[in-house]
Amino acid sequence: MQNLALLAFSLLGNDSNVAPSPAELLVRRALTAIESQPNRAEAYNQLAFALSRRARETADPAFYERAHEAIQVSLALEPGNLGARKQEAWALLGQHRFGEAADLASALNQEVPDDVLVYGFLVDAHVELGNYATAETACQWMLDMRPGNVPALTRAAYLREIYGDVDGALDLLGEAFYGVPATESEDQAWILTHMSHLHRSVGRYDVARGLVERALGLFPDYHYALAELACIRLSEGDPRAAAVLLRRRYDAAPHPENLLDLARALRSAGDEEEARALFDQFEEAAMKESEGSDNANRELVGYLVDDVDGRESDALALARREVERRHDVFTRDALAWAFHSNGRTEEARKEIESVLEVGLREARVLYHAGAILAASGEPARARALLRESLVRDPRSEVAPGAIDLLAGLPGGDAAR
Amino acid sequence: MRARTLVLPLTLAAVLPFAFASNHREAPITGIDRAADITDVYAFVSYGPNQQPNTPPEKVTLILCVDPLLEPGNGPTLFPFDPGIRYAIEVDNDHDADPDLAFTFRFSTEFQLPGVYTAAAGFENGAFQPGTSNLVVPPRIDDFDDVGLNQRQSYTVERVEYDGGGKATLLDTSGRALYAVPGNAGPRTMDYAALYAAGTYQLANGVSVFAGTVDDPFFIDLGAAFDTANFRTLESGTPGVLSANEDASPANFASDTVSGYAVNAIAIEVPIEMLTATNRIEPATSPFATIGVIGSTSRQRVTVRRSPDPTRSGGGFRQVQRMGNSLINELVIGIGSKDRFSMDRPKNDQQFAGFFLDPPIVGIVEALYGGALKVPSAPRYDLLPLVTYAAPIAANGTPAGPIGDMLRLNTGVPAAAAGQSTRLGLIGGDAAGYPNGRRLADDVVDITLRVAIGGVLDPSFPGFDANVNGRLGDGVNLNDAPLGDVFPYLGLCPDGRNRRHVDPGEPGGGPVN
Repeated sequence: MQNLALLAFSLLGNDSNVAPSPAELLVRRALTAIESQPNRAEAYNQLAFALSRRARETADPAFYERAHEAIQVSLALEPGNLGARKQEAWALLGQHRFGEAADLASALNQEVPDDVLVYGFLVDAHVELGNYATAETACQWMLDMRPGNVPALTRAAYLREIYGDVDGALDLLGEAFYGVPATESEDQAWILTHMSHLHRSVGRYDVARGLVERALGLFPDYHYALAELACIRLSEGDPRAAAVLLRRRYDAAPHPENLLDLARALRSAGDEEEARALFDQFEEAAMKESEGSDNANRELVGYLVDDVDGRESDALALARREVERRHDVFTRDALAWAFHSNGRTEEARKEIESVLEVGLREARVLYHAGAILAASGEPARARALLRESLVRDPRSEVAPGAIDLLAGLPGGDAAR
Repeated sequence: MRARTLVLPLTLAAVLPFAFASNHREAPITGIDRAADITDVYAFVSYGPNQQPNTPPEKVTLILCVDPLLEPGNGPTLFPFDPGIRYAIEVDNDHDADPDLAFTFRFSTEFQLPGVYTAAAGFENGAFQPGTSNLVVPPRIDDFDDVGLNQRQSYTVERVEYDGGGKATLLDTSGRALYAVPGNAGPRTMDYAALYAAGTYQLANGVSVFAGTVDDPFFIDLGAAFDTANFRTLESGTPGVLSANEDASPANFASDTVSGYAVNAIAIEVPIEMLTATNRIEPATSPFATIGVIGSTSRQRVTVRRSPDPTRSGGGFRQVQRMGNSLINELVIGIGSKDRFSMDRPKNDQQFAGFFLDPPIVGIVEALYGGALKVPSAPRYDLLPLVTYAAPIAANGTPAGPIGDMLRLNTGVPAAAAGQSTRLGLIGGDAAGYPNGRRLADDVVDITLRVAIGGVLDPSFPGFDANVNGRLGDGVNLNDAPLGDVFPYLGLCPDGRNRRHVDPGEPGGGPVN
């Protein structure tokens, strides 16, 4: 137990000139509680909670591993205790072990059906697994049981986004923002960043920039906000500024997929050599973790299709494996794109239709759908989808491709 | 952009508190939404002041009480119904624990004197500014049109048939607006009894309705019950066990904690043929005679999906609470399940079957009695008549249906003749009483203690003692205020100036011990 405490403490920032984050404060509080009552299970649950929150603040999955260790101590002190099992569900979600998280959350929900947090775990797990009806039911219970609660509003907003209702999602996030205490700066920054992402996804770049800059003011160097601001810089045609931000993001959150974004920005900025090196580095790192639950497989599929030549069959094999694990709309979109790149148009079409049926209207997905339907010999629908992609986000990374495709369609024209 | 650790904000959910349950605030959500908090549901074959034996039943009275423990003197706004709530009394008539029809009530509020500080003001024939003819205080309120009834609520009633049967607004036969009877501010301000009489409306098709603030008809030693079943020691010498004399007496031996308090009540009396699946009055021996009744309160909600066409969306309301049998959510359902129970539908009650068939309260009370009380073992199949369609309430041959908490009423059982009803209802030999429906005077506390804990419906278990198991009770045998003997049967709201809460140690309040 002492080792765990020391380890947790070592993960905290040690710059005394920087104010501790909300999660760091929680970690310190939990460690104090453990020191005074080392045999109290709840104190370890508090530590697990704080470590999981710190994982989100920093994007460092090591905190989830530490959280699991705290949970094990708690369970050893008080076998089966509810608080520990709830923290376990959250840590499993953070590690992208969605099936296990869903099973545990279902068991907890049957045991304590009034616990709103557990419904939140159900929503998160089933959204990632692509079981949207189940997720929606759980989310509706959250909204009904405690009207206006922030965890319910943020989850409902995410579902609305997936269902293609961006403005509806923004309504709920706006409401959620005012429900977050001022001390929870990371929660506030998360909401602002996600609102920025939504505004950008429908081409409202100025609004998006204002929101994400406020997020960074609230929570400096927030990895999620840095990435969002970088996307805005790319939309503004400034890949060099985007690369600077993405490098900072990678320093804060050194995950393979974050290298991919950086490499693409550098390539756009004309720095082919470093971009090439980072692409290679990305592929190697992503391949290395490809078999695990917390992986960059979707990004790797996109890379193998869009960024290198002759790797389409590798992309398809990877996408098929990943969709066995989770069939959310983004993974199905990746599979559809991989099928398309291999010339397997019918299978591509089937997958992308299933994505559109859920309702997702992201510019990238709409572009993929347009390309696949064009290959299927449906120029009218293809044209409509490509135009919708351009209307929603005229500066997205797929916009040039959409314009080219539109121009090449029978009876087609350039995007208007 | 993929967010590797994108677990959504959870902060607030982690600190949501559980509230402690009490008799009228049994679930956390209704603990903070008292206007939607259902206190009691009643359903019984209507009767008259001179009820004759075996009179064939014609109508059923359904009553929903909400907003608990209203202190009548608590001005200035008194106790309006919440216009944001849809109040409903729902009826299942095909034994699937899923209501087939409902009577829904919606309220709206107006202020006749917006500049006046209180919901109701009145004084004799009015009070004038000295030396002028300026009316300063309006005349005493004895009619809904009197302006002294500053905060005036009207309401609409709809009969809703589920499964696409449509809605019909029930109107007063004379076309008048339906007004809710306000709380009784006191004798100077209003003639409450006149308003109560005027607030009982005859609608088309033999339907009558009433809505307003009345005396809370529930009676219980609430303080003892929720001091971990710390019932008072009376003649028997065993706490919570009545002597034969006390059991038979129409008097209270402990304080009715609800005495002197008011509640908001909605009552509707309907011809039985409007309720049964056959649209006929069925004999008690018919499987179609028994219906299931719940009360529910619902508020508008935010839905995950926004409906592009609200006329085609049924998802605009969330149920805040529902109630069938008395005390189920209070005493039977675990604290971690109370909100889900309140907000779910009876047809989904299989998830709570563990609580119904093995109520945790039974073991708790057994432990508190330290061996002086023997209780039946789980699973408690003897409790199934409360949560399925079964004898002795439903006729033989009635489909039991799924487990679901509804108040079952055999509409073919005649009302007890005048003077023949007992507070102990069915277990007291009075077939027209709880748990065959529920009348206002039924002592559901004593009945529930004896049925759920005492096991009197199946006394074949070892250690059953009729003088203990069959005499469990809180010592509160009747309501403090007299009940009516015609629809809506409810007692008049205590007046705010002179109301009295009967406390332990006072006359009629039983001992303090």
